[in-house]
Amino acid sequence: MIEIRSLWKNLGGNQVLAGVDLMVDEGECVVVMGPSGTGKSVLLKHIVGLFDPDEGDVLVDGISVSRADGRTIKRIRSRISYVFQNSALFDSLTVEGNILLGLPEGHCKRPDVDCNELVREALEHVNLSLGVLPLLPAELSGGMQKRVALARAVVGRQPYILYDEPTTGLDPLNASNINQLISRLKSEIGSTSVIVTHDVDSAFFLADRIAVLSDGVIQAIGTPEELRTTPNPRVQRFLDPAAYAGAM
Amino acid sequence: MSTRTDASVGAPPPPGMPVEPEAAAATPGNWFTGWVQRVGRKVLSAVQHAGHFGILLVATLAALPQIRRYWPAALGHAKRIGVDGVALVIVVGGLSGSLLAQQTGYQLSNALPMSLVGSGVVAGMLTELGPVLTAIVIAGRTGAGIGAELGTMKVTDQIDALVTLGRDPVVELVAPRVVGGIIALIPLVVIANFVGILAGWFTAVSLLPMTTAEYVQGARGYYHAAALIFSLVKAPIFGFTITFVACYVGLRAEGGAAGVGRTATAAVVAIIVAIMVLDVILAPVYNAVA
Repeated sequence: MIEIRSLWKNLGGNQVLAGVDLMVDEGECVVVMGPSGTGKSVLLKHIVGLFDPDEGDVLVDGISVSRADGRTIKRIRSRISYVFQNSALFDSLTVEGNILLGLPEGHCKRPDVDCNELVREALEHVNLSLGVLPLLPAELSGGMQKRVALARAVVGRQPYILYDEPTTGLDPLNASNINQLISRLKSEIGSTSVIVTHDVDSAFFLADRIAVLSDGVIQAIGTPEELRTTPNPRVQRFLDPAAYAGAM
Repeated sequence: MSTRTDASVGAPPPPGMPVEPEAAAATPGNWFTGWVQRVGRKVLSAVQHAGHFGILLVATLAALPQIRRYWPAALGHAKRIGVDGVALVIVVGGLSGSLLAQQTGYQLSNALPMSLVGSGVVAGMLTELGPVLTAIVIAGRTGAGIGAELGTMKVTDQIDALVTLGRDPVVELVAPRVVGGIIALIPLVVIANFVGILAGWFTAVSLLPMTTAEYVQGARGYYHAAALIFSLVKAPIFGFTITFVACYVGLRAEGGAAGVGRTATAAVVAIIVAIMVLDVILAPVYNAVA
């Protein structure tokens, strides 16, 4: 379980988070939505300890991320996969090298582990052929890079996966493919997911619950159906700006 | 009708426009407050840099003994730095030896024995020009490359990705480059010294009124083991400095492609300043030992 308690963060004089509370249950998929620049990615980075909060705390499986020492934070991170907005594949490594990085250090040296098989399974999960393994990220399209990033995220079978804008920069067809893929991974692997996006269609397709982040706080949280019918004007304005403007 | 926009607030009035009395009265105070703020920001930034530099230095020194984890990568970097830099080092080493011989010869003509040209070239190459010029060449070639490479990794979230994957960027990225730099600089400085002394001899016998015997006599007259050892001690120190400073600057990159460009430039400038400062610090050490 991931628990975010009254999280505050100021970056460069800008109060990005101003008391965010959020609970993500085991096996749940929570989508955090909100306009660009409202601190969605910052929120996600707090969960893996890439940012320290000014106030508040993040707990993963009951362990505080912000108060964890080096060994503990490494243990927490070993349970979390993070899919970055721009894939963040390592330019100097092949696709195979990038996917293998998703496994714990030294994992492949264990005699009972067949890393080739793990890589092959990960590629299958994301609908990529074995032919991409020797390629460098620069030789792949944007959509394929996203798939490799997803393969790297699932190869270690971590119980938590965090997705930062997984469909940003993709054409509608590729974005839809990635959404299908995330949905399938969710049901096949059963991991707990937090997805950050401003893509309303993706959010309603993937989410068990949707949280709308704006002005540094969660403005509303609920199932997609609850969100559709909420009277909260900030939420309606974000979900359907054209309809909201027409109603004014 | 003219209107005053937000952008014009705080900007000096255009030429010819009278300054409003209240604005004029507020100027000295504003100027002083602004100055204090700017100085304060610069001091804070310098303290922050010193802190981050110190933290990375300690982490890098702590990672050096774990060399078994990154030995192949370190060898790869050493090979790349060495192979990439050797041609330039030969050219610069040769030119500096030749210049040293010519300048020494012109200064000595009709005053002192010409054999001192050999002494001057050997002393200059071993103690200063060999190590320092090699370091500057490698700073321009490899330092900029490392700064840009790590800078790109930083702005494209690859460093954060490494952290979230449970890897230590210092062990994975900084330590192999630093060890590679230390290894590569030693043969490069030896090559620069050798080529410089050889070019000095060629220049001396070609352009100056002296023989090979006189050059060798002067060179042997100056040569002592401490000079060579000092040269070889400087090499790994400079190798560490070049790669470490480049890594530090690269890891602090921000601002996309433009930021990476600025980082590469900043890395070269910072390395050259660091090399010169270190050289000044090391000179009295050599004099005391020799």
